[in-house]
Amino acid sequence: MSKWCWLLWTAALWGQTADDPVLRAMRDEAARAAQLRLPTLESPYFTEISLDDGRSVSAAATLGALVRSAENRYRLPRVQVRVGSYEFDNGNYAGSAFPFAGRYDVGGFPLDDAYAAMRRVFWLALDQTYKSSVEAIARKRAALKSVTVPDQLPDFHRAEPFRLVEPIRLAGVDRSAWEARVKALSAIFHGFPAALASGVEFEDIQNVHYLVNSEGTEIRVLERVAYVRARARAQAGDGMFLHDAVSFYAKDGAELIGDPAIPRAIAHLAEALTALAQAPMGETYSGPVLIEGSAAPQFFAQVLGKNLSLFRRPVVEPGRTPAFPANELEGRIGSRILPEWMDVVDDPTQAEWRGRKLFGHYRADMEGVPPEPLSIVEKGVLKNFPLTRQPQRGSTKSNGRARLPGPFGNYVAGFGNLFVQARETVPAGELRRKLLEMVAARGKPYGLIIRKLDFPASSSFDELRRTLGAAGRGAPVSAPVLAYRVYPDGREELVRGLRFRTVSVRTLRDIQAAADDAHALDFLDNGAPLALLGAGGYVAECTVVSPSVLIDDVDLERIEGELPKRPVTPPPV
Amino acid sequence: MAGELERNFAILREKADPPAYFLAYAITENDVASVSASYGALTGQSANRSRALDVTVRVGSRALDNYRAVRGERFNFTLGSPVALDNEPRAIRTRLWLDTDQVYRQAAERLIKIKTNTQVRVAAEDTSADFSEESPATHREEARPLDFPAEQWAARLRKISSILARHPEILTSSVSASAQREMKYLVTSEGARLQHGRGFARVVLNASTRAGDGMNLFAGETFEAVNSSGLPDDRALESAAAKVAKQLVALLHAPVAEPFVGPAILSGRASGVFFHEIFGHRIEGHRQKDDTEGQTFTKSVGGPVLPAFLSVLFDPTRRKEGQIDLNGWYAFDDEGVPAQPVRVVDNGILKAFLVSRTPIAGFPKSNGHGRRQPGREVVSRQSNLIVESSHQVSDKELRKMLIGEIKRQNKPYGLYFEQVTGGFTTTARAALQAFKVIPIVVYRVYPDGRPDELIRGVDIVGTPLASFAKILATSNRVEVFNGYCGAESGSVPVAAVSPAILVSEIEIEKKATSQDRPPLLPAPSAKEERP
Repeated sequence: MSKWCWLLWTAALWGQTADDPVLRAMRDEAARAAQLRLPTLESPYFTEISLDDGRSVSAAATLGALVRSAENRYRLPRVQVRVGSYEFDNGNYAGSAFPFAGRYDVGGFPLDDAYAAMRRVFWLALDQTYKSSVEAIARKRAALKSVTVPDQLPDFHRAEPFRLVEPIRLAGVDRSAWEARVKALSAIFHGFPAALASGVEFEDIQNVHYLVNSEGTEIRVLERVAYVRARARAQAGDGMFLHDAVSFYAKDGAELIGDPAIPRAIAHLAEALTALAQAPMGETYSGPVLIEGSAAPQFFAQVLGKNLSLFRRPVVEPGRTPAFPANELEGRIGSRILPEWMDVVDDPTQAEWRGRKLFGHYRADMEGVPPEPLSIVEKGVLKNFPLTRQPQRGSTKSNGRARLPGPFGNYVAGFGNLFVQARETVPAGELRRKLLEMVAARGKPYGLIIRKLDFPASSSFDELRRTLGAAGRGAPVSAPVLAYRVYPDGREELVRGLRFRTVSVRTLRDIQAAADDAHALDFLDNGAPLALLGAGGYVAECTVVSPSVLIDDVDLERIEGELPKRPVTPPPV
Repeated sequence: MAGELERNFAILREKADPPAYFLAYAITENDVASVSASYGALTGQSANRSRALDVTVRVGSRALDNYRAVRGERFNFTLGSPVALDNEPRAIRTRLWLDTDQVYRQAAERLIKIKTNTQVRVAAEDTSADFSEESPATHREEARPLDFPAEQWAARLRKISSILARHPEILTSSVSASAQREMKYLVTSEGARLQHGRGFARVVLNASTRAGDGMNLFAGETFEAVNSSGLPDDRALESAAAKVAKQLVALLHAPVAEPFVGPAILSGRASGVFFHEIFGHRIEGHRQKDDTEGQTFTKSVGGPVLPAFLSVLFDPTRRKEGQIDLNGWYAFDDEGVPAQPVRVVDNGILKAFLVSRTPIAGFPKSNGHGRRQPGREVVSRQSNLIVESSHQVSDKELRKMLIGEIKRQNKPYGLYFEQVTGGFTTTARAALQAFKVIPIVVYRVYPDGRPDELIRGVDIVGTPLASFAKILATSNRVEVFNGYCGAESGSVPVAAVSPAILVSEIEIEKKATSQDRPPLLPAPSAKEERP
């Protein structure tokens, strides 16, 4: 370990007493904020201060050589000041998050537990946020004088005060061991010359999340995220670039460093990519598709999971009609969206499942609300949405699903551990036989089995844009990476260059059968489309568990477009 | 690097269509460490090592290649990709190969477009070639290892930052220290093989507050050196912090400036920024070739552009001015051309421009001023700007001359610009070809012997040609402004060395200001106890 990381990686233990200077500074300034007042304007009715106190160790390597290695310590404060009342406040307005008031240039947040210095930062942040909030509510009122909003919902749900102040025990992270590990993992690609560009990255984040609000909620929890990701790119003979990635997540990085499954998966990734580069192009296909293995949770994460986040249209000044995202499931509570033999439950309270740790487990969401198990779909019928404290049509309170910061000062609702379950199942091998039966019945030359999707997306920015461009309403769905034609004689053939056409929530009703297996997918959601790997900012840990499924009438098409030429110069060595 | 360069170049020259005639690989290796503090607490600490690759592929010929400027069109071929930190040949070669391929494709595509373009458009005024012939240099030198005792600096900055915290009028303040070791490696298909580098170290003190009328006010100070050991000691930093605090508090109580035109003195540092912005950017070579640029001086070579007592020199070989390390020195520029002093103005007469390997009319060779930040394309940039004067008087005499000028012009007062933070200038034809320099510390100087009066909310504005004609005299003492200049090819370290100057006329305008009130609640008490 180099000499400058003196502060960071000695295992530390604190917080056994109630006298945490961070919480104290937050509490004291949140309390004082009640006195904020501009002449003739209202004082805050709600104040929230949160702080993410993070430590990150990361390293990246390519072909056995280190490309990046870093240790970072950060403290990111966020404050919220609401003026008005729970029924009508400065929120849910297109300018809600706009910094109307000038910012104070506070620089960084104290990394030392310096009570007075921390209070100063909160003091100035609350001051500028309060000034912006009173400006926002005035503008919102003015906008509402000239636009009519049909049955205006309240602006903010009340929440029970929740106190979760845990002792914090930070783990030591051996940076040099991890450097050696990513170098070794990246060297696996030496054996696969078809992988033109490749890399392995690792990060271990330990984030102490603090939250204090004026309702009496107080949170201090340690959030841990570690991952190892490998990605590679190959080029087919016709010039088409092929990408693939494999990721491993855990709360505790120590579980990953020696995991023998990781080098195996990387070798497998390299093999699959080599095979893909030689595989024939797929053809436009319409018919039954077997979504098998880890592709199944990848599919449900996108087609169902991402569509569960409701978006509430903010009050907008007259004359402005921005395009807001449409949600395919909005207003469909009580409607059937899956076969009646399927259920979906989101249970972030579960830390383990069948002896496997669940990545999507958490105890308090970003608004300090504890989650409870939530039935999303019962017997095929949509029952509930994940909710934040932002009122939605029909909602009465948050169910503790504020997972990521969202637009207009709101949080985005999302799931934690999403379990897709089938009451009626068939043995996994049976699903393949059923597929072939359907193919035969329709006189098709082959059926399709999809074993991997590019989710979270590892594609280049260009490809991502094409995928998004091709998406219709609702959340986009990433392209299959491993798609196989299966012929009536059982022979399988890998094909490349396919993407979904018109796959949406409606596709879920065409699920014909589910296997008796269950596959878990851990991933980090972020604000980016298709949870693009490595997209910055806030992340939310998620797990999806689902069986393999056979779906009828799925449309896929060939990815068209100009293909780059192969390099003039052959690769070195 | 050299092996992969030769392998790629041989194939791109022989087999590619259009063939490449020049290939260069530049790797910039940076070790950077920094610490910052505010109100007695550490607010940041980092240490980073990076290597970035810049690939240059030239296709076509020296007379016309993919770098031809076409009507102000921006292009960027290089990717600035991260390169392995370990000296692992296979990983580095693979990166070089991948980037070469990508850069070559874009280069070839642009050359084809340009060839079409030159047939359609009217001929540009400057018909010089696109790439100069230079003899390839060979040089090997290691920069001193990074020396930045982070723990010591953390302790020092905690202490210094609490000095700024003593003033309740100040709303925010911070102190940071950083050190950097930069090594540059360059190999070209012409045979250049370079390895050289230097260190940078810096301390920045900042403080800000908001006046009752909503005006945001800043004060600050910076110190630069080649190595962190050359930075000021605690006593010097403490007194700098006290000075910054005192200055900001004084600004808070200072009257707001009124728009004014009249005589002024610019301190050496202020004058350095003034010359950098107003003069320096306009003699950067590539601007003379671009028809969308204002080309203030393009046709003035051999003619007077400054008063006859002034000369301007750009000297990247000069490492120090007195005891102060200059930020703008280097051994070779980013095209591998040895650094060399360039006398651009001699006794008021324009003699030369700053030239990279992109020739301009009358200047077919580089004078070692092709610079960039990794990931950007090289253009001609400034280095150490040095203003020389043959009409020097003492500071005291200069002030006397200012008072004489105030009286002569029958003005109520003149101005003294003590400190400026920087400025910006637009040189494009389509925009207002003006400049703005942002002063922090400005005084009114009264002719009747009253003490100087600090004022706040001032911007200097003007147009370049008019401003230079009004310089009357300079002091006999130079000051150094070290900084970083941002332009097309990114951020590059520069310096300006200049004596104070007396100008017969300068124009100031009111600074844009916010409507925000100061904080509504008093600052939290540090001593507040829990019940």
